[in-house]
Formats: sequence, structure tokens, C-alpha cells
Amino acid sequence: MGVDTREIEAPPRAGGEPGVALVQCEGITKRFGAVHALRGVGFELRSGEVHALLGQNGAGKSTLIKVLAGGIEHDEGRLLLGGEEVDFRTPADSRAAGISVVYQELSLVPSMSISANLCLGSEPHNRLGFVRRREAVRQAREMLARLGLTLDPRAIVERLPFAYRQMTEIAKALSGDVRVLVLDEPTSSLSEAESEILFEAIKEVTARGVGVIYITHRLSEVFQISQRVTVIRDGANVGTFDTAETDLHSLVAAIIGPEHENLRRDEVEALALGDPKDVNGAGATITALPARRPAADRHGGTPVLELRDVGNDRLVGVDLAVGAGEIVGLAGMVGSGRTEILETIFGLRRVASGEMRLEDRPVKFRRPTDAIRRGVALVPEDRHVQGVALEHSIERNLALTRLSDDLGRLGAFRRGASYDRAKAAIATLGIKAPGPDARVQDLSGGNQQKVVFGKWHDPRPSLLLLDEPTVGVDIGAREELYGIIRRIAGEGSGVLTVCSELAELLLICDRIAIVAGGRIVQSIRRDEIENEEHLHRIVQEAEGTIARPDHHDEDTRPFEEERPS
Amino acid sequence: MSSSAAAPRVGVSRPSAGGLRNVFTSDRPYPLYLAFIALIVYFSFASEFFFSADNFLNIARQTAFVSIVAIGMTFVIATGEIDLSVGSTMSLAAMLSALVLKDLGNSWVLGLLAGLVTGGAVGVINGTLVGRLGIPSFLVTLGSLSIASGLALTVTKTQPVVIVNDSFFQYFGSSIIGIPAGIFWTIVALAVCIPLLHFSTFGRKVFATGGNATAARYSGINTTRVKVSAFVIVGVLAGLAGVLASAQGQSARPDVGTGLELTAIAAVVLGGASLFGGRGTIIGTLVGSLMMGVLNNGLVLTGVNPTIQLMIVGAVIITAVAFTSRKRTS
Repeated sequence: MGVDTREIEAPPRAGGEPGVALVQCEGITKRFGAVHALRGVGFELRSGEVHALLGQNGAGKSTLIKVLAGGIEHDEGRLLLGGEEVDFRTPADSRAAGISVVYQELSLVPSMSISANLCLGSEPHNRLGFVRRREAVRQAREMLARLGLTLDPRAIVERLPFAYRQMTEIAKALSGDVRVLVLDEPTSSLSEAESEILFEAIKEVTARGVGVIYITHRLSEVFQISQRVTVIRDGANVGTFDTAETDLHSLVAAIIGPEHENLRRDEVEALALGDPKDVNGAGATITALPARRPAADRHGGTPVLELRDVGNDRLVGVDLAVGAGEIVGLAGMVGSGRTEILETIFGLRRVASGEMRLEDRPVKFRRPTDAIRRGVALVPEDRHVQGVALEHSIERNLALTRLSDDLGRLGAFRRGASYDRAKAAIATLGIKAPGPDARVQDLSGGNQQKVVFGKWHDPRPSLLLLDEPTVGVDIGAREELYGIIRRIAGEGSGVLTVCSELAELLLICDRIAIVAGGRIVQSIRRDEIENEEHLHRIVQEAEGTIARPDHHDEDTRPFEEERPS
Repeated sequence: MSSSAAAPRVGVSRPSAGGLRNVFTSDRPYPLYLAFIALIVYFSFASEFFFSADNFLNIARQTAFVSIVAIGMTFVIATGEIDLSVGSTMSLAAMLSALVLKDLGNSWVLGLLAGLVTGGAVGVINGTLVGRLGIPSFLVTLGSLSIASGLALTVTKTQPVVIVNDSFFQYFGSSIIGIPAGIFWTIVALAVCIPLLHFSTFGRKVFATGGNATAARYSGINTTRVKVSAFVIVGVLAGLAGVLASAQGQSARPDVGTGLELTAIAAVVLGGASLFGGRGTIIGTLVGSLMMGVLNNGLVLTGVNPTIQLMIVGAVIITAVAFTSRKRTS
């Protein structure tokens, strides 16, 4: 396999026929002190296949990938590349051998253009060492075109929507002689349509003979793009399956393991909605819909939140109402204005025209403090940037929202009260942590997100805004978050949630509002939507009715620092 | 515990290990404390004059200006900002305080207030430019360093201003209830700032702003106000240091604080604070300041050449900071 993959013209891969083994792991073990992270994992990746790697957070997926990427050295076992045993000591070794990893954390330089990022470190230059910009742009354009990405190479990365940054990342990972591409949850922040674009790009890559290791928490994707699946649990293989010969139920069972019998049913229910192929799962879905209170209860009385013809720089005449105890979803593409609606309600953007009413009283929020004072809470999209201070303890983070209220007395911080509150939140929300003093950065994604929920846990908000509440959260914790959201709504809060996963919206919402072009195109009761595909179609049609702006200015962040406005 | 009828409410407890732990160790400057003790032990053996109450008082007095300013600087650095203007703020405060004493009735209270208000005003300007306009604090305070310094020289036509006021000398230059003035005012600053940073809601907001300003803002914290307040605190303390310096010298010199900002910043960072914000303790800062005092004093007493001293101080700062602020591996 010493051939430059770019020379491989036609894909040798025909329907399910196995390609050459690119990577073989045999009995890989790895210990971190007392923790046995990998206990004899075997794994094989063939040329031209997409091989999904599944497992809960902490199952050992990341460790295995790090071994492959040369980030850590394994204790025992053999790693073979193209049949020859290799020993990667540094990431550079692995990269030189043709293994390229796209991690969840992006590795682009945000202030530079796509083309500058793509040729970082190998810029085309003239004899005097000056960069040949045109040439760099041309090369970048070619690379992007090869992957079917219609991005302007001159666009600055930090101004791109997250999805396009992700694609740039993948393009970068594929530059040079790459034989193995590892994608770690590449779709966690992408909308369905964007995921489709990504899948097309992956197909292009595999057609050239590259093997793709695909890590995901979305099982529906496994059936969409992978040929084989390997499931890891507690650092060991559960098994490798041909995707065509397995189904959702057996995969979920393999991931979760026998000791979570009672959890399993819930999760199959949660996941079944996400899988268009699985007929049995779809059948189960109908009975699996969460038992909710009758609609009459939820829509009665005055709504908690009402937006009347609200407009600003990003929104056009938004009309929306959220009732007490109601969970309303906002569905739409990235850049449709979903997040901006939440930000406007939370006082991060101004209401320029129209009216916002909270519990039947007109309100004007100039900053989040105003919104919080009126009982509005936001679980933001990017928890590491907007949600928590990672280096600080759980207790410190949880206290943030109450400093000017019950946790202060004449300016003194009520430490005891804060610890009690933190312990209560840890217990109620099921945050898995040694105690209130644990640093948030040491928790898993799901538990970090529970900390963000915990900030708004007590007192219960009258309106809870959620922006992608389960991004980067494993299925077990995901189900717990659904439970938390339902409970908060059950206690009488209005909930408004943005979510790119349509299956998730269908699972938790009473009503779904379709957002496109900064406005709400229509609002549909949950029971009027047949399934995910139906919702998908509605979103697509809504988007089609709106003249799409150039995507490069879609994702303008709200101001970085607080300024008088 | 008690009878079952009066069973303690579940979840009610004292914070583990109490607040004191927070004051000393929350940001783990243990290596600093060890180095501090090691230095004291070393100099005690190396010089017969070092280990004495008189010498320790001497060190505390000499480091008072730096300690006071660095205590304020801890707030600014904990919010993730920096203030380079404190030295010239101190000079300016000293000059205005002396001018008020000279021209406005020679009242020590007015003299003190003039110094504090001057410092606070510089803090408001710095903080507003940083917090509201979002200009990096390094640049803002680099500019105000120059402006304040120029202003101090201009208002006094580059000449020292002689002070004639016994109460003023008494309270700020000599001693109060038997405690040397510099040490007394350092203790006052500690007594105010330790509760403020470690036991108040404001302190929590300071750390949150430095730890993750966006998350803090999304949690309803007015990070602009927090930053302005931090700059005002360091400004007022620099003003106090200016008053102390002019009282000690019985005249105010327009260059009295020159260069002090770097020593103060070094003390804060030695004390375990992160220049990226979110971490820091007042006690750590105090120890950092005293450690540099001990080092200077000890090197003089052991007869080290002053030019060599400079290099040793620099090396110790870098070594100590390497230990205290080594990046945690997750």
C-alpha cells in the first residue's frame, strides 16, 4: 500500500466486497495508572470502507484513536498498517504513514482564510520565500472542489458558520497522502442538509480508496454511510458487524451492555426516531412517544412568552408563543435565525421592532441580566465558550447565575448556601462527579451540559431557552437530559429549544416552529408531523421559499464583549 | 448526631474545609510558599544579620508599596486584564496629594483623599476604555502609563513638592499604634481585599469574568462593571501607595512610582495568579511581594554584587513562575 492514493483512479470497491486491510489493531491494551482504558481491542479498517466506531463516552474510542494517531503509545498488542507492524511515537509518525484525524476540537487558525489554513506549513512560495497567494487560493479551490465543497477559499474561517469550518477542517485533513481518515463526531454541530453534504464528501474520499473511521453518537448515520460497525464497551470489543446485517436494536444493546436492561428500551425509543431504515424501530416509535399531559393543559391561559412581529438585524417579523409547560422546538438550517431568536429573547440582541411579552407584560431586555431577572434562562449552544468556566469547580459555575440574588447577603458570598445548592443540583440532575469542588473540565460532555442546566435549576425559570442541548453528549446522558427538560416543563416552565437533530425535536417537543430566513414560516403541532422524514421535508420546503443570502455572513456572532447599545 | 426528631436537614453542611483553604490554596501556590521558606532558611544561614525581627520589619516596610499595589493588581489580573499604569498612577497621586496639602489648607485628610481619588479616577478611565470599548488593557494602560507620568511631571514642573504636615507624616510616613505606617496600611489593604476577593459575590464575579467572560455574561454578570471595578481598586491602592511614598520622603517626587508596575505584576504572578485570568489569591500575592523583598534584602546582606542581584532576581521569578503556573495536564 505504498502507493500514493491520489493515483488510484477507479474505486475497486463493489457492493460490500472487502477491500485491502489498511489498518489492523490486535489486542491493543492501554492503562492509565489504575484505569484500564483499553483491554485487548481488535479493529480492522479496509481500503475504501467507512467503518463506524461506536461506544459510550469513556468506552475507549478516543483512546484507541489516540493510539492510532500516535498521541499515546499502547502498552501491549500490535498495530499493523498495510500488513506491516508499526510503532507510532509521535503524531507526526502517524501522519507520515497516511493517517489523518479530524478531532472534535477544531484545529484551524480562525483569523486566517480557508486557503491559508489549507496550505499552512506548506505554502507555495517563490524563490525569495514570499507566499504566492494566487497559487495558494487556486490550490485550495481545487482541494475544495475535489470534495464537492463550494466554499470561497478566501473566506476568513472565523466568519464561517460552524458547519463550513468543519468541512474546511476535513479538507485540511485530506491534504497530502492520506490513506486513513478518522472523523470524530463530524456531524455533531451540523444540520441534516449539511450532514448530507459531508456524507457526499466522505463518499468521494472512499471512492479514492481511503479508509474512513467514523465515530458518532447518531446511530442513524451508521446506517446511512458505513459498511461495517465496531462497538467498544469498557475498553473491549463487543463486536464488529456488517452494517447491512445488523439493526438499530442490536447496536444499541451492544453499546449499552446487558447491565442497563431498563435503560435500553428508552434509548431504543430515543434512537428509533433517528433511523429511517428500521421498520421495527419506527413501529416502536409510535408507542414510545413520551406520555405528555393533554394539550388542553399546556395551551390554556396566557403564554409565558409571546413575540409579536419582532424584528432586528437578523430577524424579520417573528411571531411566536410559548405556553406554560409547553416545549416548543425551532427547526431550520444553520443560519436560518434559530439561534438568533433565542439570543434576542435572552437580551443578547435588541428587539428593534415589534413587541416581546413575558407572562403577558411587555418587556425590553438590554442585556442578559434583565432577562435572567425576569426568569428567562439560556443553555447556550457552545458550552465551553458560553456555558461554563472549564477551569472552575462545579460549585463556582453553578453560583454564577445567583450571585446578585440569594447567594449574596450585603455583598458577602453565602458559601454554605452555594454548596448546598450545588449538592442539590448534583443530586437532582444526576451529575456524575466526586463533589461540588470537581473541576468542570474533568467531567464528561454530558455531565458538563448538566452543569449548564444546573445553573438554571433553582429557582426554576419561567422560560427555558435551549440551544442544541445535547451536542457532544452520549446517548445515556442524552436520555437523562430529555428527562430533565420534560421535568422542567412538567413543573410549568415554558421551553423553547433549537436543535439540529430533527429526531430529537420530534421526541421532546409539543410543537415545532419552522425557521427560515430570519422568520417563522409555520408552526406545527407535534402530532401533525408523521415522522422525521416528514419534518425534514417541511424544513427543506420552508428553506426553499426563502431567498438564501450568501452563506458567508450567516453566522455573525453577537458582539463579543458587552457594549453599550 | 442529634435526636431523630431534630435530624439535620439533608444537604445542609459547611463548605468542605472552609473558606480559609480558599484564601491560601485554591490556586495551589504551594511551591511559592516552599520557595519562600527555603529562601528565608538559606539567608538565615548565609548572613548573621538576616534572621532578626528588625530585619523582617525592614523587609515588610520596604515592600509595602509593592505589596499594596500588587494586592489591587490581583483583582485586575484575576479578571484577565493587566494594568501597566500603576507606577505612574502612584506618582501622579503623590504629586496631586502633595499639591492639595500645599495649596488647599494643609489638611491630611484632604491630602489622603486627593491621592485616593486621583488613583480611582485613573482606574475609572482605564476600566471604561477596556470594559466598554473593548480595547486591550495592555494597550490602554501602556497609554495611560505615559499620560499619567507626563501629567505628574507637568503639574509640578518636574520638581519635587515639599510637604509640611506632621499628621500626614505621622499617619503615612512614621507609625500608627506602634506599627510602621507602610505595614499598617498593607494590613488595612489585606483586611479589605481578602474578604472582597475571596468571600464576596463581587469576588466570584471577578473570577468568573477572568475564567470565561462570555459564560459570565451569559449568566447575567455585568463583566464591564466588574472590570471597571477591578481597575478602580488597583487605582485607589496605587493612590494610597503614592501618599505613603510622599509622606515617607517628606516630599513628593514625580518619579516615585516609576517601574513599580512590573514588580507588582511579578508579585501577583509569583503568587499563583494566571495572567489569563480566573485564578489568584491575595495571600499568594502578598507572599510573592515579600519573597522579592526577602531576596533583595538577603542578597544585599550576603554581599552579592548589585548587578548580579538583578540577574538572580530575574532567574528566581522565572523559576518560581514556572512552578506555580505550569499548565495543568488534563
